[in-house]
Amino acid sequence: MSEDKLKTDEKPLKPTESSGWSALKALAEGFATTAKHLARKPITESYPEVKRQLPERSRARIVLTHDPDGRERCVACYLCSAVCPVSCISMQSAEQPNGRRYARWFRINFGRCIYCGLCEEACPTSAIQLTPDFENIQRDILTLVFEKKDLLVEGCGKDPSYNYYEHAGVTTDQRGKGEHASETPPVNVKSNLP
Amino acid sequence: MPKLTIDNREIQVPTGTKVIEAAERLGIMIPRFCFHPALGSVGACRVCAVAFTEGPVKGIQMSCMIDVQDGMVVSTTDAEAVDFRRHVIEWLMLHHPHDCPVCDEGGHCLLQDLTVAGNHGIRRYRGLKRTHNNQDLGPLVQHEMNRCIQCYRCSRFYQEFTGYRDLGVMGIGSRVYFGRSVSGVLESPFSGNLTDICPTGVYTDKPSRYFGRRWDYQRHPSLCLHCSLGCNLTASARYRRVVRHEARPNLEVNGHFLCDRGRYGYAYASAADRPRQAMAAGTPGTIADILTGAQEAIQRTVEQYGPGSVAVATSSRSSLETLALLKQACEQHGWTGPATTQTDRQALNQRTAVNCLRPELAVSLAADTEAHDVLVIGADPLNEAPMLALSLRQVQRSGGHVTVIDPRGVRLPFDFDHWAVHPSAMGAIVQALIQEIAGDGTAASTEFDVTRLARQLNASPRPSVICGTDILTSREIALAGDLAQALCRTHRVAGLFYVLTGANAFAAALTQSERVSMETVLDRIENGSVRLLVAVEQDLWREFPDRKRLQKALKRLDHLVLLDYVNSPLNHEVSYFIPTQPIYESGGHWINQEGRLQGASAVMAGGDTIEVTGGLDHPPRVFESHIPGSEQLAAWRALAALTEDHAKTVKAIQEETLRSALADFHPAVDTTSAQPTGQRIDLNAVSHAGVESTEGPVPVVNEASSDTVLLLLVDWTFGTETLSAMSPTLEKVEASPVAHMHPDTIASFGLAEGKPVTISVDARQLTVPVQADPRMAPGVMVIPRHHLLEWQIFGETRVIVKRSQLNADGV
Amino acid sequence: MDTLLGLIVLLIKIAVMLGGLLLAASYLVWLERKLLARLQIRLGPNRAGIFGLLQPIADAIKLLTKEDIVPSAADGFIFRLAPAVVAVTALLMFAVVPLGPDIRVFGRAVPMVITDLNVGLLFVFALSSLGVYGVALGGWASNSKFALLGGIRGAAQMISYELALGLSLVPVVMLAGSFSLTTIVDAQAGIPFIVLQPVSFAIFVISAMAESKRIPFDLPEAENELGAGFHTEYSGMRFGLFFLGEYVHIQVLGALTAVFFLGGWHGPLLPPVVWLMLKIFIVAVIMIWIRGTLPRLRYDQLMALGWKVLIPASLINIVVTGAFIQFGTI
Repeated sequence: MSEDKLKTDEKPLKPTESSGWSALKALAEGFATTAKHLARKPITESYPEVKRQLPERSRARIVLTHDPDGRERCVACYLCSAVCPVSCISMQSAEQPNGRRYARWFRINFGRCIYCGLCEEACPTSAIQLTPDFENIQRDILTLVFEKKDLLVEGCGKDPSYNYYEHAGVTTDQRGKGEHASETPPVNVKSNLP
Repeated sequence: MPKLTIDNREIQVPTGTKVIEAAERLGIMIPRFCFHPALGSVGACRVCAVAFTEGPVKGIQMSCMIDVQDGMVVSTTDAEAVDFRRHVIEWLMLHHPHDCPVCDEGGHCLLQDLTVAGNHGIRRYRGLKRTHNNQDLGPLVQHEMNRCIQCYRCSRFYQEFTGYRDLGVMGIGSRVYFGRSVSGVLESPFSGNLTDICPTGVYTDKPSRYFGRRWDYQRHPSLCLHCSLGCNLTASARYRRVVRHEARPNLEVNGHFLCDRGRYGYAYASAADRPRQAMAAGTPGTIADILTGAQEAIQRTVEQYGPGSVAVATSSRSSLETLALLKQACEQHGWTGPATTQTDRQALNQRTAVNCLRPELAVSLAADTEAHDVLVIGADPLNEAPMLALSLRQVQRSGGHVTVIDPRGVRLPFDFDHWAVHPSAMGAIVQALIQEIAGDGTAASTEFDVTRLARQLNASPRPSVICGTDILTSREIALAGDLAQALCRTHRVAGLFYVLTGANAFAAALTQSERVSMETVLDRIENGSVRLLVAVEQDLWREFPDRKRLQKALKRLDHLVLLDYVNSPLNHEVSYFIPTQPIYESGGHWINQEGRLQGASAVMAGGDTIEVTGGLDHPPRVFESHIPGSEQLAAWRALAALTEDHAKTVKAIQEETLRSALADFHPAVDTTSAQPTGQRIDLNAVSHAGVESTEGPVPVVNEASSDTVLLLLVDWTFGTETLSAMSPTLEKVEASPVAHMHPDTIASFGLAEGKPVTISVDARQLTVPVQADPRMAPGVMVIPRHHLLEWQIFGETRVIVKRSQLNADGV
Repeated sequence: MDTLLGLIVLLIKIAVMLGGLLLAASYLVWLERKLLARLQIRLGPNRAGIFGLLQPIADAIKLLTKEDIVPSAADGFIFRLAPAVVAVTALLMFAVVPLGPDIRVFGRAVPMVITDLNVGLLFVFALSSLGVYGVALGGWASNSKFALLGGIRGAAQMISYELALGLSLVPVVMLAGSFSLTTIVDAQAGIPFIVLQPVSFAIFVISAMAESKRIPFDLPEAENELGAGFHTEYSGMRFGLFFLGEYVHIQVLGALTAVFFLGGWHGPLLPPVVWLMLKIFIVAVIMIWIRGTLPRLRYDQLMALGWKVLIPASLINIVVTGAFIQFGTI
């Protein structure tokens, strides 16, 4: 078994390949390649002068987005803070008078954040999202502690359509029982008719 | 003892055990929703399916429905069984809403766990979901019926286990609905348990609604301090705020449940008005300075007036540690006390109960449920110790019989015999019972059939006597002990179970070398022999039954040193106020009414909650290493600092003092060998000598005359116990205070039902509405020691009120 | 008077040499980074000054102002000593390198070498062997497994290649008839020894690169396995001394290669010192080019190359050269 593996890994060299001459040739090729590079224009882009448009999915500053109807998406379910490997997210959930669960306060310590993106993956409402804005630097580390007002942004971010409370099944001022996506009207428990 | 094989491992279990329980003993957790050790099997959820490969039963079966039999071979990992369970999970999840993020159960949800464990990650069902309307079940329990998986745990618990009828099951098929017939507050004082037993989020805890996830909570084993039963619980705290209590199973004490008083009574620990600042005569100071001041004041008083001029008072909610230090201080320095009760009668009652509780008679709360016939004397289980009522319900469920001899209109959630006896006649009845049981009955002809009861108790395979200590006198308490002993002589097995007043009343009774109550201490203050009082976790303002006398006497003191964690008007007036830590911050040991020593861990570090330190919209943005408002000490630490010269700051010296105090506390109490379920202290080592003689005829006490009424100030389930009465949650469910009287008594005193009555004592009045209760004994008036009433005018909790003192309001 | 004057001249020579070497070392770093970057199609340092020319100064300031950390478990004295050993031995080797023919100042002949030892070659060898003490001791004194492994590798590598290095120069000594570097240079006034001894040259350059622990022989500091090898625990200017030692060593190599094989300062048109510097520069550029091209050898390959190829080859070379001298016409 192990011998088979070794065999598949190591192909026998052709006589020409193993000769001293071919070794020298390979060396010479290497030196030629690097020497040719000297004449090429460097591919480096100098950062502050040239700012590249980063891909949408690149992971930097974290934001909290809004539902398509303009309400806060975050329901303060604590999944992001639970999954955060450096424990940089903390919040306090509470209930709004309209029945929606929300974050009374929400705090991300960017001094600690490692931008791993697990919070975004864990978020069941698409509220917390990482943006390509990586230029988030402060002189005083305490100013890197962002409160909810610093995190909230207008619009839906990367997910333009998802509205958690359309699917949740809990009563809010917008939707009652049986009015959410794929729900039948509430059962009349006083009737035994099928 | 059948022997069976589960997953290739053999186990022998008693006959009648279900396969699911046998597996649990092997450490194999078969999935379950409907099965609950306290509620038994019903076979509703189908998720505990396992494969029986050989033996008397074959094929896929529900492990909760099959009794173990010899030779069974069970596989929990059989491919077919696993596939079966996976499908069960999937169909249970068909209609389950998509609301885990906003569900409080998320994180400790059995359905969530088993869905993940069953590998059901993606819903295949694309059809419409059935929905249900929710009900408002009151301030304790939140209802969200969409999440239901029809395990029937709630209705079985509510109707079968606790005996209440207002929550049950309706509808058919997939439209089965669990709730009340109409929205409304749940009647059961055990309703909070619904949140524990519901395997998903249909019933969630309303006071902690939308507050946090279990994984974020600081959770530690703790104890309930709201009555003497010592129920075990798990306390959760977050951001220095106690958030939730859950029942901690202890099969020796509370089983799997808690009453609502214990479950929701925690608010005092995080109350906004909790005193956190040490003060000298109302002026804030550092705790070290105040301790020094208090210590110097004690020294000066001792030098000037002798050691006896320093008195110490504490209450039965203090930990064993605190009591031990106080006892040691009094013995070493010759101080007066410690007084652990308010009145002499209470002190005598507690002492008598502890002395009468012989080891061969003592039973635990759990053992009570196994009794066959129970006689309750002078106790109102639902109001004084609610979990006792749950135990009695189990007695009744298993075919036993409960008889209550009590003047109050006792209500229990099941059928029982109630003898509404006037307190002054109770002694005679118990004595007659003892004589009947011993066989030399001379059956005093009363309206109650003593002979029949005696015969019933005599014929019972396992009788138990439960006796209250709140409204009785020591004589009846001792007689209850005699009754249990008489039963023991004829039965060999008979239980005796005292309900005491206060979580640590047993230990407090053990500290009494001489009987000193607050009443005695006030006497001595008034005659000038006590000049300084140290009151430790003793809410004199609310609990002493004569507030005017208290205030007058306290003014005569040179110094009053107060150590407590609840807010009281006295705190700002006393010479030295030292804030202490409640059980959640200090932990400690408590001895419950059967003599069981149990420990509680500290749950959290103390300090201002972040609502206080940071404002509402975020925690503080200034970071410091010390917690604001966390200067409190555990009461025993503060006491060690007061009594030992060098213990003010050195924790090691405080701990050494504590160790020696605990070792000297009582030969019966050994705190060094603590067990998880708690262990009963050595009752043999408790002196049984001080029991008063109960021989001879009961002296006729003229409490039952037609011109007087006996006023009893009693406990209610909610609103009377000091700590739980501070809970804003329980305030929403507590009944408003009324005076209960028998309709005939109301009529004979010229009062009107529903109208207020004013009781006058020395120019002080208490006005309270009268309510008729035909189940009560005539000639008795019952008023709760309610926090909304200023009842502290009577000087006692059992007093005779003359006709002239009673006025129909406006007359 | 003569002694005093000699002393003053000596001190001036030392000062000029030291200043030149250190300046050259720092700009060699710049050169290496810049050249390496271009070999890899990058830009290299370009922020400090024009073309990043102030980068060495910035680096020096950074290294000097950094915190000097000695690990608590380290052997403090040896830990502090080790970097100095590396830097000092590398610098001392230049004492015997002749920069040009004697020049006349105020009627006196001033040799363009700090000291012309008649055993200059042995002196160079002795110092280059001592240099490895810095590596081995630094690695050991750090009390870190990575550093220790780096130190051990350094010592083993030095032992293996010192032999080949020494043997590769035996033919040169045989041809020049002297251990003095000045005499060896003078012997190449006509034909540089690279022409006469190409095998020796190849062995010398390979061994010398192995001695200086540069890619492809940088096993003692192999980043991807040992962190930074023997200087893992060093920071600030102590690390800077190791760094300095390495770049001075490159110049030493360049100088020795020039002296032994490229005819030293000999050359047409340009002044002798310029010729020597040019030769050193060319050697340095080649070494950077090698670094930009070749991967690191495996440890067994390193040992096999040293013991199984270079040493036998140099021994054969000695025999062949000896035979030529004895029987031939050279």
